[in-house]
Amino acid sequence: MNDSIKRQRLDTFMILIVVLLVIISCITLFSLQNTLPAAIRGRPFYIYQGVWFIAGVIAVGAIMLVDFDQYRRFAMPLYWIGVLSLVGLFFLPWAVRLNGALSWYQIPIVNTTVQPAEFMKLFLILALAHVIASHNEKWEGDKNLKYDFILLGKMFALTLPPFYLILIQPDTGIAVVILFIVGFMALISGLRWRFIFSLVGITFLITALATIIYLTFPDEVSAMFADTEFEHALERIQAWQDPTQYQDGSAAQAIRSALAVGSGQLFGKGIMGTEVYVYERHTDMIFSAIAEQFGFIGSSIVIVLFFLLIYRIIQIALECRDPFGTYLSIGIVGMLTYQIFQNIGMSIQLIPLTGLPLPFISYGGTSLIVYLAAIGFILNIHSRQKSFMFETENR
Amino acid sequence: MTNQKKQKSHLPLRLNILFFIIFILFSLLILQLGVVQILNGEEAQQEVNRTDKVVSETPVPRGKIFDRNGEIVVDNEQKYAITYTPRRNVQPEDNLRIAEQLSQYMDMETGEVTERDQKDYWLLKNWDKGFAKLDEEEKQLSDSDQYQLVLERITEDELSTLTEDDMKVAAIKRELDRATQLTPHVIKSEGITKEEYAVIAENSHEMPGINVSTDWDRMVPYQEFTSLIGTVRNRNRGLPRDKVNFYQNLNYKLNDRVGDRGIEEEYELYLQGNKEIREHITDKSGNVIKSEVIRQGERGKDIVLSIDMEMQQALDEIVQEEMLKVINENPNKNEHFDKTLAVMMDPNTGEVLAMSGQKYYEGDEDTEPYFNNEAYRVLMDTHLPGSTVKGATVIAGLDSGVIEPGETFRDQPLRFRGSQDKVSWTPGIGVVDDIDAIKRSSNIYMYRTAMRLGGHWDYTPNESLRYNGEGFDLLSSYYRQFGLGSYTGVDYPREENGFLGSDVKANDVLEMAIGQHENYTAMQLVQYVSTIANGGYRMEPHIVKQINNPTNDGSNSVYEANEPNVLNKVNVPDEYIERVQEGFRQVFQEPGGTASYRFSDAEYSPAGKTGTAESAIYPGDNIRIDTLNLLLVGYAPHDDPEVAFAIVAPHLDESDSHINNEIGRRMLDKYFEIKEERQSSEESSTEDEENEESEEESGE
Repeated sequence: MNDSIKRQRLDTFMILIVVLLVIISCITLFSLQNTLPAAIRGRPFYIYQGVWFIAGVIAVGAIMLVDFDQYRRFAMPLYWIGVLSLVGLFFLPWAVRLNGALSWYQIPIVNTTVQPAEFMKLFLILALAHVIASHNEKWEGDKNLKYDFILLGKMFALTLPPFYLILIQPDTGIAVVILFIVGFMALISGLRWRFIFSLVGITFLITALATIIYLTFPDEVSAMFADTEFEHALERIQAWQDPTQYQDGSAAQAIRSALAVGSGQLFGKGIMGTEVYVYERHTDMIFSAIAEQFGFIGSSIVIVLFFLLIYRIIQIALECRDPFGTYLSIGIVGMLTYQIFQNIGMSIQLIPLTGLPLPFISYGGTSLIVYLAAIGFILNIHSRQKSFMFETENR
Repeated sequence: MTNQKKQKSHLPLRLNILFFIIFILFSLLILQLGVVQILNGEEAQQEVNRTDKVVSETPVPRGKIFDRNGEIVVDNEQKYAITYTPRRNVQPEDNLRIAEQLSQYMDMETGEVTERDQKDYWLLKNWDKGFAKLDEEEKQLSDSDQYQLVLERITEDELSTLTEDDMKVAAIKRELDRATQLTPHVIKSEGITKEEYAVIAENSHEMPGINVSTDWDRMVPYQEFTSLIGTVRNRNRGLPRDKVNFYQNLNYKLNDRVGDRGIEEEYELYLQGNKEIREHITDKSGNVIKSEVIRQGERGKDIVLSIDMEMQQALDEIVQEEMLKVINENPNKNEHFDKTLAVMMDPNTGEVLAMSGQKYYEGDEDTEPYFNNEAYRVLMDTHLPGSTVKGATVIAGLDSGVIEPGETFRDQPLRFRGSQDKVSWTPGIGVVDDIDAIKRSSNIYMYRTAMRLGGHWDYTPNESLRYNGEGFDLLSSYYRQFGLGSYTGVDYPREENGFLGSDVKANDVLEMAIGQHENYTAMQLVQYVSTIANGGYRMEPHIVKQINNPTNDGSNSVYEANEPNVLNKVNVPDEYIERVQEGFRQVFQEPGGTASYRFSDAEYSPAGKTGTAESAIYPGDNIRIDTLNLLLVGYAPHDDPEVAFAIVAPHLDESDSHINNEIGRRMLDKYFEIKEERQSSEESSTEDEENEESEEESGE
C-alpha cells in the first residue's frame, strides 16, 4: 500500500495550472456578483464554485486510487450507464427541461441539477480508447482497408447513440464536442493516412455542398428545419452571419459579448469594472467578463494557460507507453480543445454562439467535476508512467 | 512486442500534427482577440459609452377615502396581477413568443380581440402564406403598404382557422403590444387564480419582462354614494378626452387611471400618489445597463370627507320615505315631482355633513320604481327659491336705508295699472314690521321694499309701476354677498351659480324679492342660510375635510387641512342680521310662524325660513303646467348654530303637502339624536377605561 502511494508521481505543473484557472474563475465570479440579473444577484457563486472544486478534488483522489489500466474494465459498463442516463431523460420523472432543452436531472434532496451529457463525454472517451486499444492489440498482420473500416465502424457504432441522443435534447454544443473527440481520437487511432485523407476529403465535400445549398436557397433550408430541433442552431448560424439584422434575437448576445470584450482593450477596465450587461455571464459568457476587466493581456494569459495545459497533456500522452493511456489523453485533449476554442471563439465573434461552458472557469458543478475528473485521469496516467517503464526494462 | 512498437511508431508524428493544429487554433483565438480588443477596442468603448436614458414609472395604489369619523368610504382591494415590462425595441415576434408561452399558464378573456388583432396574429403565424397574396408589382410597395394590403386580403375562412387557443394567444399578445418600453403594464388582473399566479411566478424567467405583482381595484362600501364620490377610470379608457392636456402636462400617461367625476376627480392630484420613477441607462441596442430609483413611490394621499356617513345614510332614507309618502298619497297628481335635494352644513366651518339628491324613477313593466342617489344635483340643479330668500331682501332694504328697523307696511293686495293684483300667500296678515314680515312670510312687505329700491317710494293703487333701473343691481348685490347667485366655491369639479336675471324690468325686481325670479342651487341656499346663522360670514363649503398622508398603521398624519375659509363678510351692521335671525327664529318657534306648527316643540330651538315658489313647467309649445317648489332653509340651535340646512322639493302639484317641513324636522331630529348617542357612548367608553384602570389597580 505504502509502495503504491510512493510510486505515485504528481504532476505539479499541471496541478498548478488547474488551480490557477479555478482561482481565476472564483475571482471573476466574485467580481460579477452584483451585475447579475435580479433573480440571482448577490449569490456567492465564487463560494459555490470553490465548494464544487473541493468535491472535484475528492473525485480526483478517488480516480487516483485506481490504476489507470484498470479503467479498461469499467470502460464499457460506464459507457452503457451513460447512454441509459441519456435515454432516461425522455421518460424518467426527475428529468427537467431548462431553457428549452431536456438535458437535466433534478437531484431531489440537494436541489441541484445534473447534466448527464457532461459525464457522457468522459465515458465515451474511455470506451473509445478501450475499443481502439483492443482493436490494435487483436489485429494480426499488416494494416489494410479492412483494418481501417472495422476500426472506423467500431468507433462510429460507439459514437452514434450518444451523439444522436444529445443532439435531440437539443444540445448542439455537446454534440459537436463529441464529434471533435472522435475526430481527434481517430487521427491517432492508427487509421492509415490515405484513409484519413479520403475521409477528410469526403467530409469536406459534403460540408461544402451543404454550405452552397444553404447559401443559394437559404429560405428553403430554413423552412425545412423550421419546427425541428435544429431550428435554433440554424438561427444562430444566421445570426453569426449577419449580426446586426438579428440584433434583438439570437445575435444580441454575440454583439454584447464582443462589445464587452472589445471595450476591455489592452489593459482592461480593472476588477469590478464591467460596464456591459451580458446574459449568462457567470456561466457560458464568463470569458467576456475576464476580457472586459483584465483586457487583452489578462485574457491572453488565460488562453496561454489553457494552451500550456493542453501542451502538457499531449506531452504526457507522448511519454505514455500504454496506447490506452495515449488514446484516453488525446480524447480529453479533443474535448478541452474544442470547448475552449468554441467558448472563447463565440465570445469574440469568431464562431457562432453555442451554449458551452469554458472548462474550469464557467460556473457549474457538473462541468467542473467532469473536467477535474478528466485531469484526474491524466494525473493517473502520468503517475504510473515510471512504474510501467520500470517493468518493461526489467523484462 | 514488435506489433506494439509498430503500433506506437506512428504516434509521435500524429501527435505533433495534432499539437500543431491546436497551436493554430489557439493562435487564431489570440489573433481575433487582438482584432477585437486592440484594433477595434476603442470603437467598442465608444459604442458602450453611447447610451440612452429611459425613464419608467410604476403606478402606486390610490389614496383611500374616509368620512369625518374615520369610516371607510372608498378602499383599495389588492388583487393579483400579471405585468409585462418590455425591454427596448421589442419585436412583434418576441411578444408572440411570450404570449404563446403565457397562454399555457393562464386563461384570458378573448372578448376584446378585434378583427384587426386576429389578422395581425394570423399574419404573424402565416407570414409567407400572407405575403404570397401579393404579386411582384405590389412587392415593390413600401413595407407598411404591403402589410396593409396583406391584412385586407386575409379572408374570413383564413381567420376562421384560428382556434380557441389561438384567440387566447391573440388576446394576450394584444395586451403585450400595448405596453410601453421598460414600464410595467398590467396584462391581467381580473380573476387570476392562485395556481396561475404560482405557475407564472415560477416560469417567469422563460418569458423576459413578465412579472407577477399586485394591482388594486376601487372598493366602495357605500355604493349609493358613488354619484358624489365619482369613480376611477380603468386603463382601457385612459385619460378623459377633455382633460388630456391638463394631465399630460403633469406627466400622466395616456392609460393612467384617473378619477372620473366627483371627489375622485377633484382631488385626483392628491389621490394619485407618487409613482416610482426609475431611470434606466440603456446602450444603443436598448439593453438596460443600469437602472436607478430616482423617486421612491408613495401611495396616494388619503381623503377625509367632511361628510358624516351615518347622517348621510339617515338623510337619504328620510328623503326617500317622505318622497314616497307624497307620491303614493296622490299618484296621479304629482307626476312632475321626481326629486328632492337636501344638504346639511356646519355654518361655522363650511363642512358639508350630508348631501342627498334623491331622484325617483317610475320604472316600467319590468322594473319596480326605484330611487337613484344623484347627490351632485345639490350643486348642479337650480330652482326658484321662493320665500326662503326674504331674509336677504330685508337686509337689503335695511342696509340701503329704504326701510328702517321696525318699519311697517300693511299687507294688502297691490294693484298696478295694467297688471294682475299682487298678493301674499296667506291672507289676513295685516300690518307687519320687518321681523313679522319674515315670520309670516309677507310678500307685500318684500314688494314694497323692492319698489323703494327701484325708486317707487310710496304706493298708490292703480298707478303704473315706476323703476329707476338700479333696483335690481342693488338687490342682487346683497344676494350675491350671501351666496345667492354666486359660485359657492365648493371643492367639486363642477357647480352651477344659478339661473340669474338679466334684462330686468320693474316687475322682475319685485318677483326677485320673493324668490320668484332667479334660480339657485341647494348648495347656494345652505350657504345663504349659514351666512345668516353665523352673523354674516359667507363660508366656502367643503366636502373634503382634510387630506392625510398615507400610513400603513392607521395613524393620522395630516398633509393638508381644508381650513374654514371665509369668502366674504356681508357688509352690513350686525343689528340688521340679528333682526333677520330673530325673524327666522320666530318662523320656527313662535305662534304664527309659517313652520312653527312643526318645529315649535323641538328642543334644539331651530330657526329658518320656509319657501313656496310657483314654478310652472313648459313641456311643449304654449302648454303650461303649474307646479310648486317647496323649500326650507334653516339652522339650529338659533343662538349657537352648529348645523345649517337647505331642502328643495321642486315641481310638486299644488297640493297641501309639507314635504319640506317634514324632511326638515326629521333630519334635524336625527342630527341631534346621533350627536347625543355619540356623546353618551364617548362618556361610557371613557368610563369603561376608568373602570378598567381601576380594575388593573385592584388586580395589582
